[in-house]
Amino acid sequence: MQRPLPQTTLANPESISRIPCLQPSAKTESRSPHALYIHIPFCFHKCHYCDFYSIVDDSPAGDRQEVFTDRLITELRLRAGQMSLRPLTIFIGGGTPTLLRPALWTRLLACLADLGIPDNVREWTVEANPETVTPELMGLLAAGGVNRVSLGAQSFQPELLKTLERWHDPANVARAAAMVRDAGIRNYNLDLIFAIPGQTLETLKADIDAALALEPTHISCYGLTYEPNTAMTKRLELGQFKPMPEETERAMYELVLDKLAAAGFEQYEVSNFGRRAAWRGETPATLTHDESGDTLGGELGAGPAYRCRHNLVYWTNGNWLGVGPSAASHVDGYRWKNQAHLGKYLDSKAEPPIVDLEHLPAERRTGELLMLRLRLRRGAPEAWLRANLGSEDPRWKTIDYLREIGMLEWGEGHLRLTRKGLFVADAVIRELL
Amino acid sequence: MKNIRNFSIIAHIDHGKSTLADRMLQRTGAISERDMTNQVLDGMDLERERGITIKASAVSVSHTPATGAGKGTKFQLNFIDTPGHVDFHYEVSRALTACEGAILVVDATQGVEAQTVANAYLAINQNLEIIPVVNKIDLPSARPEEVALEIEQVLGIKAESVIFVSAKTGQGLDELLDAICNRLPPPKDDLAQRTKALIFDSEYDDYRGVVVYFRLFAGRLALGDKIRMMGTGRSYSITEMGKFTPRMTPQKTPFEAGEVGYFSAQIKALDEVNIGDTVTLENAPAPEALPGYREPQRMVFCDFYPVGDTQFDELRDAISRLHLNDASFSYAPTSSEALGFGFRCGFLGMLHMDIIQERLEREGNVGLVQTAPTVTYEILKSDGTVIQITNPADLPDPSQINEIREPLVEVEIITPNEYLGDLMKLCESRRGRYVKQTFLSETRQILEYNLPLAEIIYDFYDKLKSITHGYGTMDYRLTGFNSDDLVKMDILVNGDKVDALSLIVHRARAEQRGRSLLVRLKKEIDRHLFEIPLQAAIGGKVIARETIKSVGKNVTAKCYGGDVSRKRKLLEKQKEGKKRMKRVGTVDIPQQAFMAVLDTGE
Repeated sequence: MQRPLPQTTLANPESISRIPCLQPSAKTESRSPHALYIHIPFCFHKCHYCDFYSIVDDSPAGDRQEVFTDRLITELRLRAGQMSLRPLTIFIGGGTPTLLRPALWTRLLACLADLGIPDNVREWTVEANPETVTPELMGLLAAGGVNRVSLGAQSFQPELLKTLERWHDPANVARAAAMVRDAGIRNYNLDLIFAIPGQTLETLKADIDAALALEPTHISCYGLTYEPNTAMTKRLELGQFKPMPEETERAMYELVLDKLAAAGFEQYEVSNFGRRAAWRGETPATLTHDESGDTLGGELGAGPAYRCRHNLVYWTNGNWLGVGPSAASHVDGYRWKNQAHLGKYLDSKAEPPIVDLEHLPAERRTGELLMLRLRLRRGAPEAWLRANLGSEDPRWKTIDYLREIGMLEWGEGHLRLTRKGLFVADAVIRELL
Repeated sequence: MKNIRNFSIIAHIDHGKSTLADRMLQRTGAISERDMTNQVLDGMDLERERGITIKASAVSVSHTPATGAGKGTKFQLNFIDTPGHVDFHYEVSRALTACEGAILVVDATQGVEAQTVANAYLAINQNLEIIPVVNKIDLPSARPEEVALEIEQVLGIKAESVIFVSAKTGQGLDELLDAICNRLPPPKDDLAQRTKALIFDSEYDDYRGVVVYFRLFAGRLALGDKIRMMGTGRSYSITEMGKFTPRMTPQKTPFEAGEVGYFSAQIKALDEVNIGDTVTLENAPAPEALPGYREPQRMVFCDFYPVGDTQFDELRDAISRLHLNDASFSYAPTSSEALGFGFRCGFLGMLHMDIIQERLEREGNVGLVQTAPTVTYEILKSDGTVIQITNPADLPDPSQINEIREPLVEVEIITPNEYLGDLMKLCESRRGRYVKQTFLSETRQILEYNLPLAEIIYDFYDKLKSITHGYGTMDYRLTGFNSDDLVKMDILVNGDKVDALSLIVHRARAEQRGRSLLVRLKKEIDRHLFEIPLQAAIGGKVIARETIKSVGKNVTAKCYGGDVSRKRKLLEKQKEGKKRMKRVGTVDIPQQAFMAVLDTGE
């Protein structure tokens, strides 16, 4: 019998000893996680809406990029010793990964290659800030195996970028996109944000048009979220600006859905859109549910499209390993996070400090998977639902009721949000947890 | 017997009764400096938190006066603590029945207050000897002589007999203890008569079973005696008896008439014991019982319904368990179309209701939703019969009603002169009828109004406090029922009549009440996935409406690796929050919404 894990933050080393896949003896029997996430925490400036872990490392004593890279490499080597590490997708995010100096990138890429980690990789994404993209770096990444780039455009309106405290020149997005393509990377994403204070439907429309003109294969379009402990939220609380009226925010989301659909993009998740098949004579590879680690069966999308396969691993509750400070992992039902603290990360020897370890009972895993799957436009497969919710489960009644009021529907063998339900997805999903 | 003194301390809330009691325990050596926690007698957490005494408590100490007729004699002092709040007259009168004397405590800075007067009259009516005490004389703003004159003016007790005390510094305490011995009468000598003991309180103890608090009025009572409760006819054998010193201290020697103490007798449940009943000996019973108590008068009623994970059975258990401890509230099963099965409970007043609700949640660990309190109505039906209802939902069809009568109270307010005008305005706006005003002193007056009880049960006291900047106090007593143009107003949520929100209102005020109620409801009920119409109606006629818009947008934009569990926890927490609401049809209504009925729209 396994001891139940508390749902609270635990400190090393006791917590590590409770995660089966991190035991030295585990390797022989373990399959590889489907995905690998690497967190590079450096930024040259903290954007006001961002709640990802990042630090501005401008100490006069010199930055910590080099010691960080070395520590990251020891963590990768440690994990590669504990488990088979042949992921299908890699995502290097931050922070600003492109802020890492090329020499250190070379060191990191060499380590990954040395460990054989990219051997099975189909999709390898690096997040990039438009300011920091250079032909040299893009060439280096492409040569190392990176085949997808995610560019943080956010908006093309200088005054809105200022509100977000993004310091890049909108023109740099196009320049960066060109450098990405010139390096031979065809598959790239643009991040856009809507519902920025001061934004109008007109400027949002202009932003989407500007993004489409750059011919990305994928667009992530987020409604601005006031995350706790961000400067943006503080400023909101101080009354420095008013949040967008709900009706406007809703109209903006409608605009995003309609314009991107018309431009040939498939919405496959609440905020994510992939260009549909046969773009410029190329066909995007589809990702099967086995590859994402999805235990539900069923297709992840109707026909091929440029979906982010790495994120689909998160959204189908697949296994992924995260390395670097603040990186989250989910392997064989265990979730944990590396502590979001660069100093402690660097000071740690073998195992990095971890927090938020949890191992959910089956009942709550079902609710969690339902939450994730309903955020995908495809929805949750009916067969899985029938197998996992007993016939007496009160949620069936809730499902009927939510269908009656037009929030959910059955379609293509899946239970999914209607377009109406999409706007209030949290309120709908909450009922089903 | 002649060296026993049984007395209560009566006071207005916050006038320092509990501190004085504690200090007396300390001075008589009943508790050491080291064991002294504030307010020893207030045993319940809730009592300490709210700084009030809820249940009466009894303690025996001894004192040897250094002055007066009793100089050098050791006296046994039994003192019975009483609550000071307006709602608890019943408990006070219960305690006073067991005494020969009372110490009337008045704050030297506040002066005589409404409850001082009310409690003092309770004591006077029971022919108790009163020792007036002016407390807190150490405070810079104390005006002890003036306050002594107020006592003389209002209660007719000579100012010269007042003892000046500071419970805080201990000043005047010896004088007070001596006065208790010298001035209060001893219990009547009824030793030769057959045993009669008054049960003035009881509580449940896990080891002893029911512990009965008694005052022996006649004869003797000893360990091992076979006793009979004259009211219930039940018989028991006393297995332990003793005194509170203040901790339970068993005693082997027999108790004699005049003494106060406790006994246990393997009584399993508190409802076997009736407060006010007379205990006598099985083999030599007294010919007749002591007068006992009036049933407490319940003025305010509300329903409790289980919510969340709490089942009806659990709520029933919690209520019956609490009732064992506090028989002054009543409960009976009820049901509502909107809220399912629950209990209709009656209380002595609003504070009493709050306390019961809080104790149920805290000690009973149940989740409950409480409906807005209402009063008892008397209905004269067209067939000439009169019925009483405590729930607007029980009102007969209008065609069968000749008259609806509501309870009327006489309210006595003591206030500094400058707030008189605003207080009169408040009373007039609550359908009050002026009775009279009397001078208490140069600066303060007593104002009397007749008001419908329904108009004062909710926020009247708060309003009074805010108008008078905290200096006004009030007390009230029921005078009877009065017919008026009253109608039942129904509330419809999403087209469904929510019977728990129905209320009886005066016709002239119905529309305004309806509108403000709906506005308040709109604030309390969260937006749902659909639009919710709210309506107020009399008979079939809608007199006010509001609409709660549906949720427009509620979707988290991002959900990446580390966000998955955070997001899940957030939604789980929101869902947990909804469990504490009551679902009516498809609408989740939070507890506070049921109190919206009380919003007077002022």
